[in-house]
Amino acid sequence: MKEFNCIVCPRGCLLHAEEQDGEIVVTGNTCIRGHDFAVSELTCPKRSLCSLVKTVFPEAPVLPVKLSCDIPKDRIFDAMDCIKTVVVCERIGRGEVIVPDLLGLGADLISTSDILIRQQIKATL
Amino acid sequence: MNYDVIVIGGGPGGLAAAISATENGAHCLIIEREERLGGMLKQCIHDGFGLSRFGERLAGPEYVERFMDKVREENIETSLSTFVTRIERRDGSFEVVTVNSDGVAHHTAKAVVLATGCRERTAKQVFIHGTRPAGVYTAGTAQHFTNRLGVMPTKRCVILGSGDIGLIMARRLTLEGAEVIGVYEINPTPSGLTRNIHQCLHDFDIPLHLSHTVTRVFGKDRLEAVEVCRVDESMKPIPETAERIDCDALIVSVGLIPENEIAESIGVTLDTRTKGPVVDAQLMTSVPGVFSCGNALHVNDLVDFVSASGELAGMNAARFAAAERDEKRFEVGNNLMYFVPQCLDLNADNSKVTYYFRSAKIFGKCRLSLYADGKEIWKKAYPFLRPPEMKELVLDMTKFDISGDTALRWEIEVEE
Amino acid sequence: MNIKSINKKLRKEFGDRVNASFENGCIVLRGKLPTWEETVRAGQLAATPYSTTHVVNDIDCAEVQDEKMHLPLLNDTALEGRRVQVLIVGGGITGASLARELMRYKLDVLLVDKEGDLALGASGRNDGEVHPGIDLKKGSLKHKYIRRANHMYEDICRELDVPFIRTGQYACFTDKRLLPFVRLYVQYRKHIDGIEDSCVVTAKELRRTEENINPDIAFAISNPSSGCVSPYNLTIAYGENAVQNGAAVCLNTVVLGMTVKDGRIVSVETNRGTVYPEIVVNAAGVYADKLAQMANDRFFSIHPRRGTNSILDRKAGKKWHGIASVVGLSTGSKSHTKGGGILHTVHDNLLVGPDAVETWERENTATSRESIERVFNKQKITMPSLTERDIITYFTGIRAATYEEDFIIEPGRNTKNIYHIAGIQSPGLTTAPAVAQDVAQEIVKMLGGAEENPDFDPVRKAPPVLREMSDEERSELIRKNPDYGVIVCRCEEVSKGEIIDALRSPICVPTVDGVKKRVRPGMGRCQGGFCSPLVTKIIADYLGIPVSDVRKSNEASVMVYESDRGDGK
Repeated sequence: MKEFNCIVCPRGCLLHAEEQDGEIVVTGNTCIRGHDFAVSELTCPKRSLCSLVKTVFPEAPVLPVKLSCDIPKDRIFDAMDCIKTVVVCERIGRGEVIVPDLLGLGADLISTSDILIRQQIKATL
Repeated sequence: MNYDVIVIGGGPGGLAAAISATENGAHCLIIEREERLGGMLKQCIHDGFGLSRFGERLAGPEYVERFMDKVREENIETSLSTFVTRIERRDGSFEVVTVNSDGVAHHTAKAVVLATGCRERTAKQVFIHGTRPAGVYTAGTAQHFTNRLGVMPTKRCVILGSGDIGLIMARRLTLEGAEVIGVYEINPTPSGLTRNIHQCLHDFDIPLHLSHTVTRVFGKDRLEAVEVCRVDESMKPIPETAERIDCDALIVSVGLIPENEIAESIGVTLDTRTKGPVVDAQLMTSVPGVFSCGNALHVNDLVDFVSASGELAGMNAARFAAAERDEKRFEVGNNLMYFVPQCLDLNADNSKVTYYFRSAKIFGKCRLSLYADGKEIWKKAYPFLRPPEMKELVLDMTKFDISGDTALRWEIEVEE
Repeated sequence: MNIKSINKKLRKEFGDRVNASFENGCIVLRGKLPTWEETVRAGQLAATPYSTTHVVNDIDCAEVQDEKMHLPLLNDTALEGRRVQVLIVGGGITGASLARELMRYKLDVLLVDKEGDLALGASGRNDGEVHPGIDLKKGSLKHKYIRRANHMYEDICRELDVPFIRTGQYACFTDKRLLPFVRLYVQYRKHIDGIEDSCVVTAKELRRTEENINPDIAFAISNPSSGCVSPYNLTIAYGENAVQNGAAVCLNTVVLGMTVKDGRIVSVETNRGTVYPEIVVNAAGVYADKLAQMANDRFFSIHPRRGTNSILDRKAGKKWHGIASVVGLSTGSKSHTKGGGILHTVHDNLLVGPDAVETWERENTATSRESIERVFNKQKITMPSLTERDIITYFTGIRAATYEEDFIIEPGRNTKNIYHIAGIQSPGLTTAPAVAQDVAQEIVKMLGGAEENPDFDPVRKAPPVLREMSDEERSELIRKNPDYGVIVCRCEEVSKGEIIDALRSPICVPTVDGVKKRVRPGMGRCQGGFCSPLVTKIIADYLGIPVSDVRKSNEASVMVYESDRGDGK
């Protein structure tokens, strides 16, 4: 039996997961997402990944990014190595894809900020 | 310029306040000291924001930029790189004095929303002694360097305090290639959210040392080592347990303090427990027309709560008309760390009041009770309560028979 | 005291482990002792207060380890072959003020300091009190200078544009029975020692000015001539004014050795080349005896004494207006300090301290919990509402005391072209302006005279402090330079323009601490939590270097490292 906290939401339920006759039985969860998380933790643990990429723009030297979906936990550092080589040269906006299907993991690297296209919203006085 | 509402601070609380004030018909101005809106979320590049509001797991910039888009759509006036130097109370209005690269400016408003956020406790405030080298940073400062300037505050560090920003930075620095030797927490239980312990520490095999603290730093120029000690039950370091750990940085995440210097300067009463203003259900402070929200009011653990309190403060600021108040202050029992809002204006609409509270320590099965003149008039059961996890509660206060001289008191009782 | 009676005293305490001999006009102690406490005690037994016959303490103390002097990393030939008339070693208040006074003459003056900024020793790590001299005895050099220097402060701080407040100081007594004796004492000090303005005030009067004073304080000696100044700002201002008038200041420059021939220093080796000075001024603080030894002119010993001060939030600053300390018969009678006090600083913080602890370590400025507790326990007698919770930072300074506990201000005894200004401890900050005037004249005499400098400008301008200005003045300055409207440090309200002014000042120290000392970003309650990345970036942009090349203070004090993505440009 494995015991761990759910990380899907801030509630952080303490999950118990056990394999019984080829099926994973989860207790301690308060919603279906907790069940799914526990199953995934035992079969193929996945994590989201947020990071930065370098840009060529001096006023915003780095751009926040994330992967569009969770990737296997043991590939996180591979993904990081790849992300570290990226340099953004165009003024892209939030949600735009920077690297599609990163390392063939099925997740796109996307921008999470408009910092390159909107330095300032509006300055009035 | 004249406004109905001036919002001080352009982070998630302030943006929500300005949007809601505008939606309620107010002519509104946001004053932000940085050159970009977004507050601390600009540097919180990790995800997990907005789960309750948007049902999505957003990164910090994504979350706050949704509000920034709205501000732009609504054409809300924004004064960036602008610092409030003082606020003066005039008859029925406030004069907000600012400075920016255009000079000193005076604005008037009928109501003011203080969305000034919070600051971090420093290494000196937790009495770390030794030399004064480079490499002692608060988690937020380390985060600014890492996530906004793209440089590394450390290659090999110790983190003091298991607050959420410290945990988030442990993961962030590890992903960037730094070595996090361990997280040391003076309390016997973690200060941050459970899921952050799991996904930021356990996932990366970073040890968490409870009941431990950092007592000294070494190194004349750059930090060379720290001394860690186990602490006894009264949190005093036990000298025999001292251990020296070689590292190049000490990152401290030992608590946040609401920023209320401006509030104090205009006579706003502060709560010694929250370090934020005492407010009523409308989030109005002791100074009529001055509202407080977000982390300036009390330190929240989720930005969703910050936005919600901003919206409430903004709406009430827009609707503010100098009316007679009949303020009742709740007593707050010792099993509670704090309880917000602290007051109830009996003349106001209290049919749907949102309360936030934290327990003072870990409780198993327990109940939160409201007492009127010593009699329990309302209660709610909880399977457990933990100080790091703030609880939200919505109540119709009109269903209680509360008069001007009723003594109201909140308390947590342990259930057998 | 003759050598026989010294040895008698030493024997009584230490048996035959220590002995004294009279050599070259000094009392030289030799022997072996286990602890530094005993070693200092031996020095104190052998010394006569204020005597010019000094104790040279060569006792081999088992506790003392080889303390490596903190050295600059810099190694170049920038000063190779440089000939100067006056080489000042040490950029504390003593060296900086002397450099400025020397510039009243047409002289070639070079000041070197091994650290990356001025005032990084005791001059930058003290309480900043301008002392009244109430506790100084006639016949000492301290007493000789204190009143004259104290009266100079308004003028010198106006010329150098450094904030100074004559706050007044109270030495408080809890025992009412002492009143008649204290009255007599004050009269004596007034008439015999020239402390003309001190008087006794009643508890009632005290409470009128300091409402938070302990009601148990029965009366106090009031010293209205006492004041406070920012000690590092004064030192930097002196240094800048010296540079404006033609002096050279070389930081990160350490004296490694000297060539002495026929009782004269011929050359001085540094990490930046060999310098050939006509006169060397020893203003080396805790290393003054080491420098004297290099010059073959050691006739005194420095025994370092550590003191820790705490700085409290401005909010606490509102609770106390002046300077106060408590005098008790039981406390402090053996220590060479009043045991610290409470001081409202020129920047409206409260400063609490310092204590006094003997140490063999000349440069260990580490703080300790015990020091803070000790000081607070004592100062709470004066102000019961004082609390450690208001502390925003703390620091330790190391006093360069001699065993005679007086200054040494004189030319070399063996070596002709050196001038020592050594043993400078409290009230050395106060006395510096007067000492510098006198020593400058002495040095001109030693050089066989010098022409006056008709272009000497005594006025130095500090960067403007926008926080203190009216809205109109502030707008006017922002119109000229919009950077003055960009607030970088929220706690101290420091603008980008002020930070760039600091970087453009005559002695540019482009480090986070250098900027912090000059214009205060990071001095407030968040201690740079918000502004240190911004200040780091401003320095990097100003110098055109990557963020990772910016330093906190000295060359090795790296702020941040390059990420493996590349530099922080």
